Amino acid sequence: MWRVLIVEDDAETSAFFAASVERHAQLSLVGCAVSVAAARTLLEESGQVDVVLTDLGLPDGSGLDVIRLARRLHPACDVMVISMFGDEANVLASIEAGALGYIHKDSRPEDVAATILEMRAGASHISPMIARRVLAKYLSLKDNAPTPPVAKVDPAPDPALSSRELEVCELIARGFSYLEIARLEQISVHTVKSHIKNLYRKLAVSSKNEAVYEATRMGLLRP
Amino acid sequence: MKYLLLVLRGAATGLWLLLALPTFAQVQELTHAHAIIDIDGKTLATEVRLPYHWDRRNEGRSGTAEFDIPFALGANPEILYGVYFRRLGNAYEIWFNGSLLQRNGDLASSDSADFAKAPRYLVVPHHLVRQQNSIKVRIRADGGRRGGLASPVFGPEAEVRELFETEHRWRVNGSFAVVVLSILVGVSAILLWFTQVDTSQAPGRGRDDLYLFAGVAELAWALRVSDAIIEQPLLGWTAWGTLQATALAVWLGSMAVFCMTLAGWDKGANGPRVKSFLLWLVAMGGAAAFASFQFDRTWLLTAWFIVASLFFAGFGVFFIASAYKSKDRMHHLVAVALAANVVTGLRDALVFRIADSYGDNSLTRYSSVLFGLVLGYVLLSRFKAATAQVRDLMQNLERKLLDRETELSRSYQRLELLARAQERAAERARIVRDMHDGVGSHITSAIRQLESAKASRADVLQTLRGSLDHLKLSIDAMNLPAGDVTALLANLRYRLDPRFAASDIELRWAVDVVKSLPALDPAGMHHLQFIVFEALSNVLQHARATVLRIQASALGSGVVVRLADNGIGFNVDAPRRKGLVSMHERAAAIGAQLSIRSSAAGTVIEIAFP
Repeated sequence: MWRVLIVEDDAETSAFFAASVERHAQLSLVGCAVSVAAARTLLEESGQVDVVLTDLGLPDGSGLDVIRLARRLHPACDVMVISMFGDEANVLASIEAGALGYIHKDSRPEDVAATILEMRAGASHISPMIARRVLAKYLSLKDNAPTPPVAKVDPAPDPALSSRELEVCELIARGFSYLEIARLEQISVHTVKSHIKNLYRKLAVSSKNEAVYEATRMGLLRP
Repeated sequence: MKYLLLVLRGAATGLWLLLALPTFAQVQELTHAHAIIDIDGKTLATEVRLPYHWDRRNEGRSGTAEFDIPFALGANPEILYGVYFRRLGNAYEIWFNGSLLQRNGDLASSDSADFAKAPRYLVVPHHLVRQQNSIKVRIRADGGRRGGLASPVFGPEAEVRELFETEHRWRVNGSFAVVVLSILVGVSAILLWFTQVDTSQAPGRGRDDLYLFAGVAELAWALRVSDAIIEQPLLGWTAWGTLQATALAVWLGSMAVFCMTLAGWDKGANGPRVKSFLLWLVAMGGAAAFASFQFDRTWLLTAWFIVASLFFAGFGVFFIASAYKSKDRMHHLVAVALAANVVTGLRDALVFRIADSYGDNSLTRYSSVLFGLVLGYVLLSRFKAATAQVRDLMQNLERKLLDRETELSRSYQRLELLARAQERAAERARIVRDMHDGVGSHITSAIRQLESAKASRADVLQTLRGSLDHLKLSIDAMNLPAGDVTALLANLRYRLDPRFAASDIELRWAVDVVKSLPALDPAGMHHLQFIVFEALSNVLQHARATVLRIQASALGSGVVVRLADNGIGFNVDAPRRKGLVSMHERAAAIGAQLSIRSSAAGTVIEIAFP
């Protein structure tokens, strides 16, 4: 049983997602927040939270803050962004803040629960456009990698992508489906999706390291 | 007033000392001599009064002479004595009571070195001095070379040496200083003339001739005055003497042209006439000197000096008068220097060419210093003014350039704004058309479906989902990397995936990474997206296909996108539907060739980019 928190200021959308969650036997609803402040209260006071679905445009701030807060207070939870279009800029920013996927506002009710369960099982989705941007981002990070300070600041997760992860990413960018990729790489579809989730994680770590490095370089943080 | 009194008192003291000198120190000037003059083998024995000015007495011929100067000593023969000659030569020997004290130059060969330029002073050995003494001087004199014998001054060593040293300081050291100053000013002026070129003038006309005249004058003058310290010239006397006289003439001529240029006379009506007269004067100076030395006609050079003196006296008066009217400070300064030089020049001409003086020092060499300094000042001021002008010009130019640049960037900004406005207008038109073709038409059909109440709930849902897909694709089209066909197809597949999944069509994906197409700007990407979307919609809705193959690959130097299904096909030649017309229009807009082949076995749509 996964405990799901929904942060969405549009009542109809919120109700749709809440209903989708509640209908499923393996999911339970922690609550529905309509603002960053409300989300903070729920995150602080509701005990265990496994999944957070959050909108980005909230009346009192950005959903990105909710993502960061959730990651901090519940490190084991998965955050997904509720997106109308799944457009690149917003999704990338969310990933960098720590989100591990996104879910479309126009998803079918059964797909909502399926996506959440898949994510808990270690799988994420990615669009070809985002994959393309992830690749570009990864390459630029690799090009001017601030390696030594990064290692010092946060040595635990290695932000470098494995060659399999890179291959998966490249195939997605070319438009291949998960099934086709699984066949080409001779792995399961689930493994493809778990590679994607890893991609997200590593990208978040990279950008966090990058931010810390920048802050250190500018003298805002002591190394 | 105080200073005037001081000067008067000093002068009085000097006069008193001068008068007191012979009485106390027994300094005597010896003015009487027995002379034996030898010219061209003719010998003449005679009594002469010293100083003996050879050229004046012998009309410029060369020869030798022996002077016997007897004199008696008063009291005090125990102190050390010295003898001082203001001038003697050109070559000479000095004997005292039968002993040779000094010899300079060769008495036998005329036209050789000239030792008559410096004053001479000798200490007389103590044992030679008696009550009755005789100084014997033998000289060689070259015609016109200011040879001869000044009256010797005999007396106590210290006092006589004092006289000598004063004279030496003025004549030798003074001349040296004048030469150095003249060379300095002259070289500076020539350098300025050479380097300061006004490039806005015609070639050869950009230089300021004022610098040239000043430079030539000062260098000529340096040469002229250097004669006083060069005892052994490289040339023979005639050539050297002519060179010296010419140098003097060049100095005079250049100074005159300098003054004319400064006063602006060179551009006046009489300017060219005066200039050619000056040129003639310079040439005549050299010619007169040569004739005078070569043919022993001293009066020729004297006559030239008289002409030059008369001219410069008149020139000086005119110049001073014009300076008096002028407000230009340079003009005033030059006038003062010119006045001083004309006066001393006239005095020198009188002393050396007319009067019977021997051993006097020319004053012009000192007054010329004033000219040199004024000249240097004029040059520096002019250079400074020119530099300031250039700086002004540069600043002006810089400002103008800056203005131009600002103007240019402003008009560039205006153009930019215009272009951006145009871009925005085109973008707006595109979005409006897009909404009209896409979301607008979808929502309209949804409304019709609901109004007619004939359509099922699923039909309406499909129409609305199509509308949202369209909207998503429009937004994606804005973010797609321009020219990237692979990304475009991948994105389309991703967006349409739920619809493909809902159908029974098997998708075969054969999309290579193809090269970027520069023809596909954001608008072009949108056109291509529309064409492919329309084609896919047709397959999904009408083709009843089971397999759809989507391919993108290189074709020669171009790219081809091919969509092939195994559906029922349609009549390509039937009156075209709106969607097909739009596909052809958009293909034309992006320079792609659209071909549609359809049969009962399926449809192949090719979009080829050459």
